[in-house]
This record gives sequence, C-alpha cells and structure tokens, in this order.
Amino acid sequence: MTDDKDVLRDVWFGRIPTCFTLYQDEITEREAEPYYLLLPRVSYLTLVTDKVKKHFQKVMRQEDISEIWFEYEGTPLKWHYPIGLLFDLLASSSALPWNITVHFKSFPEKDLLHCPSKDAIEAHFMSCMKEADALKHKSQVINEMQKKDHKQLWMGLQNDRFDQFWAINRKLMEYPAEENGFRYIPFRIYQTTTERPFIQKLFRPVAADGQLHTLGDLLKEVCPSAIAPEDGERRNQVMIHGIEPMLETPLQWLSEHLSYPDNFLHISIIPKQTD
Amino acid sequence: MEEDEFFGEKTFQHHCSEFIKHSQQIGDGWEWKSSKDCSDGYMCKTHFQIKSGTVVSNPGIYNGVQTCLPVEEVLEVPLDDFEVTQTAMASEVIKYEYHVLYSSSYQVPVLYFRASFLDGRPLALKDIWEGVHECYQTRLLQGPWDTITQQEHPILGQPFFVLHPCKTNEFMTPILKNAQKINRNINYITSWLSIVGPVVGLNLPLSYGKATSQDEVHC
Repeated sequence: MTDDKDVLRDVWFGRIPTCFTLYQDEITEREAEPYYLLLPRVSYLTLVTDKVKKHFQKVMRQEDISEIWFEYEGTPLKWHYPIGLLFDLLASSSALPWNITVHFKSFPEKDLLHCPSKDAIEAHFMSCMKEADALKHKSQVINEMQKKDHKQLWMGLQNDRFDQFWAINRKLMEYPAEENGFRYIPFRIYQTTTERPFIQKLFRPVAADGQLHTLGDLLKEVCPSAIAPEDGERRNQVMIHGIEPMLETPLQWLSEHLSYPDNFLHISIIPKQTD
Repeated sequence: MEEDEFFGEKTFQHHCSEFIKHSQQIGDGWEWKSSKDCSDGYMCKTHFQIKSGTVVSNPGIYNGVQTCLPVEEVLEVPLDDFEVTQTAMASEVIKYEYHVLYSSSYQVPVLYFRASFLDGRPLALKDIWEGVHECYQTRLLQGPWDTITQQEHPILGQPFFVLHPCKTNEFMTPILKNAQKINRNINYITSWLSIVGPVVGLNLPLSYGKATSQDEVHC
C-alpha cells in the first residue's frame, strides 16, 4: 500500500525527456546538433538549461548571442511557469520527446518576462511561496521563518534536494489542530483557449458543514466548462503533474501532496484527445 | 467568493467606481476595463509624454536637459519653430500605462505599469526612472515595499512592472484607522494611489481628496 509520502517523492522526481534544437535562423559557425535533456517537472526552464545554453553558444559568435528564450510550436515558453505545467498544457498530447526550439535573438518583449539572472528566478519562486502562504496561513508561517529557511527552500529546489526542501516545506503544509485544513487553497487553473493566463480565486478546502471540498467542487465553482457536460462525454481533461486525479479527491489532500514546490496547485484543462 | 474580509473584491470595485466618477469630472483619463469573461476587471489610465534631449535644431525651445514634457505643452510651440524637429520627436513619444488590479491573495489593490515607445519597443525600468522626479526616487528606496519587479499581468498575460503588494496593509491601516477616528470618509483607492503613484510617475490632482469627503462612501 503506497504511503502518502511516496506521492511527494514521485511528484518531485518527475522528468520530461526533451530535445532542444536551435532555431534555424540563428547564425552559427558550424552545424548545431540537437541537445537532449531530462527536465524536472517541478523546476523552471532558465534554472535547468545552463548546459543547453553552453552547447549552442559553442557554435555561435558572441555578437550573435543575446538573451536565451524557448519556444514550442511557435508559442514562446514562459520561464516563470513550472516546466511540468508548460508540458501538460501545451505538449502532453504529442509524442515524446518534447521538442523545444532555442532562440538567442528577437526576444519577444510582449510575451515573456526577462530572466536576467538566477536571482530573478529565486525572487519569483519566493514571491509565489509567500503568496501561497498568504492564502493558507495569512502569511504567518512563512513570515515566522528565518532567512536561512527561505534560502534552504530555494537551494533545495535549485540543487534537486528533496529532503533539504521538505525539511522546511513541511511546516508550510501544517494547519491548526482545530481546523480541518488551510484557510484558502493556493491554486491556478490554466487553459490555452482563454486570453486570461489563469484563473485564481479564494476557495476554502472545507465547507460550512465541515465536509471536505473536492477537486470537482472547485472546478464546478470557478471553471465549470472544465467538467462540462456533467452528464455525457466530457470534453476536457483535468491534468496535474501529467495525471488526471479523480474529481472526488479532497482538495486539501491535493494541496498537501500534489502542489508544486511553490506550494500552488497548477492545474491544466486540456481538450480530450479523440483518437 | 466571500466578503468577510476588510477590503474584499466588491469593496475594491466600489471604490474604483467612485474614483473613476471623479476622474471623469476632471478629465483625468481613468477608466474601468472588464475581463473578457466579465467576472472581474481593472482600472486603467494611459498617458503620453514626449522625452526631449534628442537632436533638435532650435536650441531656444529646449535647453538640452533631459525633461519630460506633457504633449499639450509641446503643441503650444509656434509651428515653424517646431517643423524641423517634428519627425525626430515622434520616436521619442512614450506611452505610459497604469493598471490597478485587485489581489485576492493579499486583499489589497496592486499597481501594474509599463512604458513603451509608439512603435511598441518597451522601456526598461531604469528608463522609466529617468522620468521620475529625484525626491520620489529616494522614497522608492525607503518605501514600505520590497521591490519593483517584472511580472505577468494576471488578466492580460503580458509583462508589466509591479509594486509588490505584501506590505500595503502596513501603510494603509494607520491611514484608515485615523480616518475612522476623526470620522472622515476616505476612498481607499485615492489614499493608496496618492502614496504609490508618484513613485512610478503617476500623480493625482488634489481634487480627488476633496471629492471623497463629500461622498457617502465608507471603507
């Protein structure tokens, strides 16, 4: 019988086999070979692609190189979204490996945030964690932590250290004995069909009568099109970390076990494959 | 969802609507934009400024110092003095956009802003600072906010600069408490924007403050 804690490891160690190819219009001194890499689902593109950058820069001249950015089938990839989210949302219906195109020119200013350094990724990651704790605990738990604890969360993610990360993160997963869960659940729901990048609203894990809210309850309330039609063939898949959890799953459990390291549930709604 | 909080989303929208009413009276340009699914929205204002300091043939008009002039002032210049430089000026017109959104996570308003040339080229944060008066630059460094960072606009999905909201309650609570004590009506948005706005080049005419005292609005 699988322990709930094993789920935490499975989520942390999820990987996506990826093939990086240099954009054909980039100027090279010789042919650029594609570069293959297993990307951690829970991390961020600009955090784990130093080797990719070095590989392609070897065949380019310094003057032809400016900020690196990634694209999948014409869509610029937002480095500030977790890798697993990007894959589930954009590429999960295609065959592996995930084919990503690498660019060093014409940064799409209207679509992508700049990523000037690792510090920018750390700032973004910590900002998400703080927002998640604002929702779960009115920021009390994260504000009580020392700077070194915050640093440990970031270093754990950066260096792929599960134990180091969870030694601190477990405190963010606790709640008062008299409650049945967090104050509100940190979640974001993504769909490619809307202009709005994601849906995020206040939603409690426990109903007034003490019943635990489920994933289905959440979707019905904030994104009913995701589970339409209720009677009959569903049009969409509800995906997180590459799997479709049962809609009956309690949201509190999902938040404790299937959140990304930033403590948010990043949920993708994708059209069902008909084949 | 629920409005058991001090400054919930409905309260935010109400204060914005009162603020916009006054803006319309004085022609200050703020308007409300609803999201496509109409479930929420934001308040926004766009203004244009001309950045001088580029090559000009008539030194009588500009003294060579980098200044930002509102468009109206430039148009007052006699046309024949202005003709030669007109094409050079077009590329230096800067469009500033300010958006006020509601953060349900922190239950406060958040200021998003960006600036670009007319051809769409965005300005970097340091370029925007050049347009901000020196005394506000100091305030920025001392202010009760962590930083200004580039973030994704939650409704438009595009990069904007943001004044981080997590310390907003720290500076707003004393203002609201004091207003309650002296039994004065204030508009949360007006008070908040008058503090954070100037730091990013956004100024509020004083009439906003006077308008609210006459309203029935309570926070």
